[in-house]
Amino acid sequence: MIAASRPRGDAVPSVRRRSWSALLWVAPAFATYGVFVLFPMLQSVQYSFYDWDGIGPATPAGLDNWKAIFTQPELLQSVVNAFVLVIFYTVLPVGLGLVAASFIRELKPGAFSTTARVLLFVPQVLPLVAAGIAWTWMYSSDGLVNQVLRAVGLDRYTRAWLGDFTFALPAVGVIGVWVMLGFCTVLLLAGIGKIDPALYEAARLDGAGTVREFFAVTLPGLRRELVVCTTFTIIAALASFDVVQIATQGGPGYQTMVPGVQIYRLTFLQQHVGQASALAVFLAVLVLLVIWPIQRLGRQR
Amino acid sequence: MRSLTHYRGAFRAAGVAAAAALLLAACAPGGNSEAGPVPSKPVSTGIGTEPVTLKLLVTSGVDVPFYTALGKLFHAKYSNVTVKVESQDYATLTTTIARTLAGDNVPDLVRVPQLGNLTKDHLLISLDPYAEAYGWNDWPQSQFASTRVGPDGRQRGAGSLYAAGAGFGLTGVYYNKALAQRIGMTRPPATVAEFEQLLAKAKDAGLQPIMTNGKDGGSVYPLQNLAMSYAGDAQAVQDWNYTKPGASIDTAATVKAATTLQRWGQAGYLPAGVNDIDQTRAPAEFIKGNGVFFPSGNWQAPGLDKTGSGQFGFLLFPPGVAGGPSYAMTAAANLGIPAKSPHADVAAAFLDFVQTDQQARQETVTLGGLVPAGPSDAPAPTAPEGSAVAATVSAFQELLKNNGLVGFMADATASIHVNSLIPQTQLLLAGKTTPEAFAPKVQSDYERDLGR
Repeated sequence: MIAASRPRGDAVPSVRRRSWSALLWVAPAFATYGVFVLFPMLQSVQYSFYDWDGIGPATPAGLDNWKAIFTQPELLQSVVNAFVLVIFYTVLPVGLGLVAASFIRELKPGAFSTTARVLLFVPQVLPLVAAGIAWTWMYSSDGLVNQVLRAVGLDRYTRAWLGDFTFALPAVGVIGVWVMLGFCTVLLLAGIGKIDPALYEAARLDGAGTVREFFAVTLPGLRRELVVCTTFTIIAALASFDVVQIATQGGPGYQTMVPGVQIYRLTFLQQHVGQASALAVFLAVLVLLVIWPIQRLGRQR
Repeated sequence: MRSLTHYRGAFRAAGVAAAAALLLAACAPGGNSEAGPVPSKPVSTGIGTEPVTLKLLVTSGVDVPFYTALGKLFHAKYSNVTVKVESQDYATLTTTIARTLAGDNVPDLVRVPQLGNLTKDHLLISLDPYAEAYGWNDWPQSQFASTRVGPDGRQRGAGSLYAAGAGFGLTGVYYNKALAQRIGMTRPPATVAEFEQLLAKAKDAGLQPIMTNGKDGGSVYPLQNLAMSYAGDAQAVQDWNYTKPGASIDTAATVKAATTLQRWGQAGYLPAGVNDIDQTRAPAEFIKGNGVFFPSGNWQAPGLDKTGSGQFGFLLFPPGVAGGPSYAMTAAANLGIPAKSPHADVAAAFLDFVQTDQQARQETVTLGGLVPAGPSDAPAPTAPEGSAVAATVSAFQELLKNNGLVGFMADATASIHVNSLIPQTQLLLAGKTTPEAFAPKVQSDYERDLGR
């Protein structure tokens, strides 16, 4: 009643005050974010227009660093390789993860389903460097992969996988599948758990089989989880570094070179901070461009 | 709608902050362009009597016990100096050295993997006054060539001295004595052609002729050796290494070397899956007997002697024609004095000590697996008769006299090894590039690195 008798204009300053006090609360977090995230990001953009070794004076380089990305075949090739890795880091793990999660859901909760979950998730717990080293051993001429092939009589298919021009990139990709599959499965499994069991029951009553049920109930119900999985794994693929640096160092030739390794080499080995920043910013924009439509897809209802 | 207006202010503030950051960033990054060389202080060869802790930053691995031993010897002579050895692995040191030396906590001596921009950015002091004071200028000068830098801060081979070291690495070809005997090798091959005959014999005998690590650059050694042997002269390669203006590796000798190496790969002289073998696996395979020859460096010698004393020999890569010059790649284990080091005089004294003290020179061979250079009249360290170490020491003495020591092509620029030589050699061995395309490609990568 009292509020109603007040002139309408009075309400505005009170809102103003509230917004300013809100800013005050946001300020510490925003300052931290600005100093440690926004500022370095802007700095990278700035460095990309300079020729700088990281220590000495910098000289403006105009668009040279940016032109190099599109004119040096090795730099562009590394970006193409990163997109090939998306197949292994994203498409296969998400696809297989869906299948695995659906199967595990069918299982009765118990020792077997827990074991399956743990086994699938273990690679996610290991540091990628350790995974890279372990897989390098497995892929070597006398490694596990070739031993298995020999044991089943497929001797002529044995090779030094990471040294083979055709198979090095897929071999690196398989490491990605191994690492990402557990993450996707566990996340999708959690998502399935949230789907109303009544929907499954209804589908069954309507006579849907396992496949029909999967497409009619499971898949639509997992939209958000799928978006998270896809986003996370695509970033991991495009920004990959650890596994490649450990397993192949970009070789043989330039077959497994990825932008992450290029950026590292440009910065720390060649001390071309400007060129490295240009490639890094380019990569970041590329990741955003790929992620954007996926995020939109997730929001639509 | 209301919540949107509510936060619009916050967005505006964020925009202002971002604009401010951008404005702040508008000034050029980097150090002060006015920063000149550190004013040279008067140098002294005296150690003084004040207690000094000399901090060494070296690469981890054999370097640590080696420099610790040298430090103890130095302390025994100058009791007021305590040498403290810290270490980082080679790859890490390569990537962090500039920042370390530009920071506040600098070592007094640092292992310099590559000079790179360290001299241009004035992070190391020139050793010229010390070279003068200690008489290094009267020693054989080829040992210092690779760490002399010209006034442009880039071209090496002549100019001011920026680093010196206890000993040198040296490449050649190890051979398994038992297997070599089986293929009838009674003396080191006199020419490349004779070497190829031995490789063919080994292949026919069902042996692996050569073991090498193509994954991380071992196959580049025979390539450079072949190029120098075919040219009968190493000046072109040396100029290239020192980035002399106009230097080119795109020569007939390089193309011929690449052709030969590719042929070796196709003939099965190099191991199958050579591009997948790394520098830990190659010596292990060689020790197991998988390989008659193993082109590598003297840093492998202590390891080979430990596992099979007297079983492995070392020979220099054969010349192109009989009686022609032999060449080997070499690199010093260089130490530089950071510009910010407060104990430059003591550090220089340590550098002189490790090059001249007889006991220190012996440790360089025994613990460091390196060959000391130093004054021409310094006695050569001893090693057990018939050991691989002894063979590398005598080979080095021979090359030092005959001017046969050449730098690694891998060290020409910071990235030529990983970005060009390794991948291009891998492509060559896989038949994915031709010798005629190989040489100009390496040359163009080199020119791009140098901004030519």
